Amino acid sequence: MLGRRLGIGPLILPGAVWLALFFLVPLAFIAAVSFGTHDRFGRVLFDALTLDNYRRAFAPTFIPTISRSIYYAGMTTILSIAIGYPVAFWISRYGGRNKALLLILVMLPFWTSYLIRTYAWMIILRDNGVVNSILHGLGITGEPIILLNTDLAVILGMTYGFLPFAILPLFVSIDRLDEALVSAARDLYANGRSAFIHVILPLTMPGIIAASLLTFIPAIGDYVTPDLLGGAQTTTVAKVVQTLFLSGRDWPQGSALGFILMAVTIIGTFAAVRSLRAEVLS
Amino acid sequence: MTNDYDGSKVDLERFLVRYLAEERMTRRQLLQRISVVGAAVALAPIIAACATGGASATPATSSAPPTVGPTVGPTVSTVPTATPEPTPLPTPEAELHIWNYADYMGEGVIPSFEKKYKVKVSTDFFDTYEGMYARVTAGQTGYDITFPASTDIPGLVTIGKIQPLDLSLIPNRVNLGAEWANPGYDPGNTHSMPYMWWTTGVAYDTARIKETPTSWTALWDARWSGHIAMLDDQREAFAAALIQLKFSANTVDEAQLDQALTLLKQQHPLVRIYSVEDQTYMAGGDIWIGHAWGSDIYTVQQKKPSVEFYIPEEGSVRGSDAAVILDGAKSPVAANLFINHLLDAHVSAENSNYIGYMGPNEAARQFISKDLLDTPWINPDKAIVAKLQELLDLGLDLDKYSTRWTELKAGI
Amino acid sequence: MRTDRNRLLSAYAVVVYIFLFLPIVILIIFSFNADRRNFNWTGFTLNWYPTLFSNRLILGALGVTLQVAAIAVFASVVLGTFLGLGLARIGRRWRGPLEVLLLLPMVTPEIVMGISLLLFFATLFGGQGSFTQIAIAHITFCVSYVAVIVRARAIGLDPHLEEAGRDLGASAWGTFRHVTMPLLAPAIAAGGMIAFALSFDDLVITSFNAGVGSSTLPLYIYSKIRFGVTPEINAVSTLIVAITGVAIFIAWRLGTFSSSEGRLVAEDG
Repeated sequence: MLGRRLGIGPLILPGAVWLALFFLVPLAFIAAVSFGTHDRFGRVLFDALTLDNYRRAFAPTFIPTISRSIYYAGMTTILSIAIGYPVAFWISRYGGRNKALLLILVMLPFWTSYLIRTYAWMIILRDNGVVNSILHGLGITGEPIILLNTDLAVILGMTYGFLPFAILPLFVSIDRLDEALVSAARDLYANGRSAFIHVILPLTMPGIIAASLLTFIPAIGDYVTPDLLGGAQTTTVAKVVQTLFLSGRDWPQGSALGFILMAVTIIGTFAAVRSLRAEVLS
Repeated sequence: MTNDYDGSKVDLERFLVRYLAEERMTRRQLLQRISVVGAAVALAPIIAACATGGASATPATSSAPPTVGPTVGPTVSTVPTATPEPTPLPTPEAELHIWNYADYMGEGVIPSFEKKYKVKVSTDFFDTYEGMYARVTAGQTGYDITFPASTDIPGLVTIGKIQPLDLSLIPNRVNLGAEWANPGYDPGNTHSMPYMWWTTGVAYDTARIKETPTSWTALWDARWSGHIAMLDDQREAFAAALIQLKFSANTVDEAQLDQALTLLKQQHPLVRIYSVEDQTYMAGGDIWIGHAWGSDIYTVQQKKPSVEFYIPEEGSVRGSDAAVILDGAKSPVAANLFINHLLDAHVSAENSNYIGYMGPNEAARQFISKDLLDTPWINPDKAIVAKLQELLDLGLDLDKYSTRWTELKAGI
Repeated sequence: MRTDRNRLLSAYAVVVYIFLFLPIVILIIFSFNADRRNFNWTGFTLNWYPTLFSNRLILGALGVTLQVAAIAVFASVVLGTFLGLGLARIGRRWRGPLEVLLLLPMVTPEIVMGISLLLFFATLFGGQGSFTQIAIAHITFCVSYVAVIVRARAIGLDPHLEEAGRDLGASAWGTFRHVTMPLLAPAIAAGGMIAFALSFDDLVITSFNAGVGSSTLPLYIYSKIRFGVTPEINAVSTLIVAITGVAIFIAWRLGTFSSSEGRLVAEDG
């Protein structure tokens, strides 16, 4: 045990120090900014510290965008994990010698330019795009269906973008499962479905939680996908924060809203993970 | 220049500069000439006695102005214009760093400058204007030249982020049109030289819209619901509403702004996207009618002729940007020389022809493609210009727009 | 019945892979598009590939991007692995705050992180944007992802294995290298792959930390949107996919990916 005791400090120290220096300290700058005001040139003033920015962040205008962001992120997480879990399972059980290859193939599409991938989705979803052309060609529709710049396009695009972020951690967890354990579970329970729900799922919970974290959290702050694939009715809070910083030149207000978003996300995530753990493990 | 010679007094310095400029000499060459002529005068009797040719130095022409022709449109015969050499020529630094929009400069402009002055020029592109502005206000950026909007220039000067120009290195400024030589945002052009200017209006696809709209209201037409685009720019979008309501696009009256917000909210359900990528959305096909910048639509038209553009009859907005030298620039001499280069008639025309924007350069007009000059929204006549407003800096009152813009976008 | 389920699952997996590669196929096709704006297909051309190779700006940006990604992946994997492993082992007292520290970078909106680093470097170091700044920024946002994945794996690791290693006389580092790391290998690899994707594509944070001569590929690409992103970008993406694909294929053929048991790592009890 002594060995283990000695082990922890040096383990986390480099990473923790790095994050403290290059993340927390800069964040402290922004925290300070969030209590300031801005001048007419967009510079931050610290002479009259105020809570106004936080107060305004709770204004009715921001709430719909926050809830919309949560909705998109939630749908994206659920879909990514639902779609990704069977794939991770398949790679683990049937990948055999090619598991690593199959995983890399999952990531490969994402080592290209994000913008061009999104343009490809636009080519697929736009009014005269692939989907509409097929539907029209098959005689199913007369007028093109508006697919691009809708909630649907945003969720589709986000799910696509976060799928590897779900598949990889899910695989890492599923792959740990002992074959014997799975077989035993199958023998114990009458059908595969029960075995899955009562044994496999709980055992892969760490993976599911990791996948949820890696999907939900960044998805809430995702700015580019809703911006490119979304439209006038899909404004997210990340976009609002962006607009406040840039065209509004109001760094204090942007910072405050950003912090509120972060707080909501962290609290919401912890609550969700805790309840998820409790429910599945019970 | 703005001051005319009225004979009351002779400015010897300025006279000398003009003389040297017109004769295409450097100061050294003038002194050489003087000394030679002086010597000749002194030696004349002796020389006359020797009956050999007089020592009259042939004025050496400085290198010819860069010959960059227009890349779009018919070739124009080169009428010699006054593009004098800066005098005396200080040594420019070895490197120059420019920060600009991508594709916002003619392709031959930088190579011709590099060749002429032996300066290595590097260009980086910013992805958003506001991001660039944020970086400039936050601190040093390492760039020498950038292109802020003219409305932002007074502020940037006040907070010391732009350094004054060395006008002695920018004699090409005589090429500027009358209204650009002493603009309100930068009297005397002490800190900036205008680069491009543009108009805002409405673009529509004639293949989809079989009529000829002339008003802002076409963007509010429910028949095009789901196929309307508005610029994702709070000032521009509010201007579209304010001008319809016959208010100033620079108003800070909250009651007026509320009316404009109501009008924009009525439009909101019909709008497909708010985006600044007007070239993309008008070329794409999903958008049939969109709020757009004229010069961008000119470019779209080259590939998709069915797209038309008009400046609404109620009036609209015009804007401009300018080249500035950032405070802390490491190559101020080269920067000044480059700005001078941009004002060269041929270079300015090349820029206009390449990017489809109109420049502030009167002398360049003769080299600009006829097609561009004939386009009424790029080269509008006085009647239309009179209907165009400039978007001015609102200072802290910008917040009044920001809060309403957020409310509009949130979709409440 | 087992076979049916296998077939169904396999078919499903194939469909998902098709879904993943669909935009890539379109991306590749459109790298041969004659239209400069690359929005509508107007004709086939190979021109964009030679154009790409004479485009100094793209190649320079690509170079910067790849170098930054390499550094970011290496550093974030090292820092993140230790962080994740430690977090899985740490006592209750420190776990909460450390988890928050870990999750905060992921929760932070990109513009907030980008501007925070801008202020940090500009105020404290007079930074003007540079390769170093970009690299530091990328490492910072990648660490958390690696750590979360490694932690998920490390949580289930049997500590007895490591104890056994120590009992057998291995040093702390030796134990780590020969026992812990192989057990964590899939998580480390997964974290590295995700870190690469994140770094390669980052726009917002990079835009506030780039400087003269340190423009990355995303910065270049996004700056081109206004007047049209030419198919050169499709070409460079196609080449990256192609080169990576070939490298993977070769590695696969050489058997680098397989292990004798058909599992990536040893059983852990």
